[in-house]
This record gives sequence, structure tokens and C-alpha cells, in this order.
Amino acid sequence: MAPKEYRYTPEHEWICPESNNKGKVGLADYAQSQLGDIVFLDLPATGTQVEQGQKMGEVESVKAVSDIFAPVSGQVVETNQTVIDEPGLVNKDPYGAGWLVKMELSKPPELDALMDSDKYDEFVAQLTENGSDQAGG
Amino acid sequence: MIELLKKTPLNKVHHDLGARMADFAGWELPVWYTSILEEHKTVRSGAGMFDVSDMGRVWITGRKAGAFLDRVLTRPASRLEIGSCQLCLLCLEDGGILDDLLAYRLGTHRYLIVWNAGNIERKLGWLQHWAGSDPDIVIQDRTADTVMVAVQGPAVCRLPNLEGVCRLPRFGHTQTRIEKVEALAARTGYTGEDGFEIIGDAASASQLWESLIKQGAKPCGLGARDSLRLEAGMLLYGQDMDTSTNPFEAGLGWLVEMDNGDFIGKSALLEIKRQGIKRKHIGFQMTGQGIARSGYRIVKCGQEVGKVTSGSYAPTLDASIGFCYVPIELAFIGTDIEIMIRNKPVPAQVVNRQFYKKGA
Repeated sequence: MAPKEYRYTPEHEWICPESNNKGKVGLADYAQSQLGDIVFLDLPATGTQVEQGQKMGEVESVKAVSDIFAPVSGQVVETNQTVIDEPGLVNKDPYGAGWLVKMELSKPPELDALMDSDKYDEFVAQLTENGSDQAGG
Repeated sequence: MIELLKKTPLNKVHHDLGARMADFAGWELPVWYTSILEEHKTVRSGAGMFDVSDMGRVWITGRKAGAFLDRVLTRPASRLEIGSCQLCLLCLEDGGILDDLLAYRLGTHRYLIVWNAGNIERKLGWLQHWAGSDPDIVIQDRTADTVMVAVQGPAVCRLPNLEGVCRLPRFGHTQTRIEKVEALAARTGYTGEDGFEIIGDAASASQLWESLIKQGAKPCGLGARDSLRLEAGMLLYGQDMDTSTNPFEAGLGWLVEMDNGDFIGKSALLEIKRQGIKRKHIGFQMTGQGIARSGYRIVKCGQEVGKVTSGSYAPTLDASIGFCYVPIELAFIGTDIEIMIRNKPVPAQVVNRQFYKKGA
């Protein structure tokens, strides 16, 4: 189950809003379970400006590579060095120690358009039902 | 149109174990059960097992079976001793590789070939074509009514079930019983570790599987099968070689025996050898960050010189490695190349293709 206080994108990023229009960003449990063991993360440098939906990084597992999109517009104010050194944290603790970057939101109302945890859980349940698993051989 | 995937006799077992399943050469097989990294490590340090029932198993029998195989394979099967097997190639007349396979000698006039899952119709057709209607050559594809399990890792001979077959030399095989299951066990594998490949009746598949689990072997998926073979410097048909590549450029010249009579493709291969190869299959390791994957472009001095044929993160080495074909002048250990990873050139270096060596 996705944490209640987070917001989610259809691309399975999450953002956990903090005070002062900041928020931690990470990958949802569904994303890490689809990718499998994550071995490499390419994250944006501190100071990078991104628009909502813009590609801001890459995540590579043993089997697959996937883009990371900005869940909101704003500036990257911190990257999680621990997860860069140990990408497996995204698998082990996707909603906690496996966070990727901290952002300062330039358009806070964008948050309202993201899915809340109930909607997101429903969204994932539908994906699973449709059997959209696509892993390479 | 939805193409129905073929299922191995262990399909339900994999689903029950909660495996992540995927399409491999038309077969529904597990990519991983828990984690590719864990499964990879199990095979390097303990005992893992794979459902490799997708591989084709074809019995060739009859008075002329040996002579027939000598004609279609790049190494003479009739020179094998009963109870042993060897790697060899099936080549087209132009020397292109139609498959790599293991040829087993089971008896005086009884052979078994175990080949890759892809191109089955074409390969069977090819064999039938050369066998003609000779009643002394019987070709029987028994893939569907048999199961094949690979048990791999340094601890395989500590599995009580397998003690009996641990006397076998590398590439030796014997008819045996694993618990109550009649099986053919060969000391072969595709991981760079010690191990066995075991063939039994489809009906006894889950019994064989369960007994091996009970003895301590851990189920492993295709993901680990791929990263293990890549580390061990082993080629995958369809990626690292196909009908457009010849054995010498693939670095498989050792599977071609020119001194033992004629075989299909021999004259073309002699000519290729005489002219010398223009490109070579090599191993590379990324020196920059990122993982090279199959299909990525190889660049040298701003020009494309080849494509990655296999590439992955290598768990044992904690590095990113791969295979590719490069022009012969670049095929030297230490040569710097670049791999285009999402339109960015990332540095890599040509290294020994056998990235991992057991006990090294």
C-alpha cells in the first residue's frame, strides 16, 4: 500500500510534500518491483531546474532501463548520495531510505493534480489485472 | 494477434513460486523468483537451478546416425565415446552459424543433441533435408515430452541427490536416478560454474524439481542465467551469433575441426579462414558510468563501428560489461571504445572476453 501523505504520478514517481514548498521524490514500490534489482541511478545535480513531466534522470536494473520524470516543476535542492552509492535501497525501501532527490516546488498547485494514495493503489491494481508485465528474456 | 507462449512442464511450479514470468524465444519462463542479484550470487557461491526445458532435445538414432551428424556438425560426433558429449556448431553451407549445440553419444547408434530454443522449425527442417529419406537416420524431437533442469554452482556435489553423478568428468553423462526419477545427467552448464544438466520425462518434472529444492538447490531465473553466462564469456545464439556470423569472427574457431572429413560449411569456412576475418567478437568493460545493452552503438573516433550484442551489469565483478563485434584492428585488449548510451558516448575498454573465471 502506498503511503497516505504522498502524491503519485502515472509513471510511478512519488513526492512527499514537506514544509516550505519542498518535497522528497522517489520511485513507487510498483516501479521497483517491475524493474527488479536496481544497480545504477543517474540523478539530476543540485540546482537543476525541471518542469513537471520532464525527464530528470534514469534508473537501471540488471534487466531494464527506465526514465525518471519530474513529478512537479521546480529546482532540485538535494540528491540522495546514499542511494547513488547503494541503488538497491530503492528496492529495499522505496518510500523511505530509497528517496532520490529533494525538490523545491515552483508551482505547488501541481500537487493537487497528482494521484493520492487511494487513487494510486487503484491505478496499480488495474495495471496488475491487465497483466502489463513486460520483462525482457 | 496474441501469440500463445509455449509452457514447460514446470510452468505451474514457477507460477506457484511467484516467479516473474516473461517471453523467451516463444516460451514463458521465469526471469527471476526473488532477485536476479541474489540468484546470480547463489550460483557463484552455492547451488542454483534453472528450468532450461525451452532448449530443444532431439534424438538422432539409426545405423547412419553418427555419419549423419559428422556431416552436419563442425566436430565429428561419431568420435565421441559413449557417455560423453561435446559443444559444436551447426553451420550453413556458407559457414554462417545456424546454432550452437551439445551433441551427446548415448550408444553405438544413439545420439542426442541439445540446442537453443529459437529457430526450431528451420533447424529441424535443415536436419531433415540432409537426412533425406534414409531409413537409417531417425530424427525425433522429444522437447515437448521431456524436461530439462540445470543445477549449477560450486556446491552442487554437496546435494545428496547428485552425489552419484559427481564422479562424472566434465562433459560426461550417465543415465541415473535422482530420488525416484529416471534421468540423464550431464556435467555441463552455461554459467561458468560446476554443475549438471538433467533431462527427465515431462511427467516427472515437478518431482525432479521438488526433490532438488528439498536438497538445497535454489530456483533461479533467466535473468541470472544471462548475467552468469555473460560473465563467463559464453555467447548467446541470436544475440552474439546468428546465420550472418561465422565461427571464426565469433571466436568459436575451436569448435570447428577441419582435419576430420567433410562437413556442411567446411569449404566456405576454409576459405574464410584463408582470407582472414574482418571483425571479431570481443568483450568490453565500461570505464564510464552506465550499462551497455544489446543494440547500443559502438563508436570509435566519432564513427560507428559496431553494436552491442550482449550487455549487462555483472554482479560478481560489480561492473558493467558486454560483448560486441568490432573491426579486427580494434579487437585488442586495452583498446578504448565508446558506447552510445542514450545518445551520450560513454567510454569502455576491450578486455578478455572471459570476464569471470571460476576460482580466479
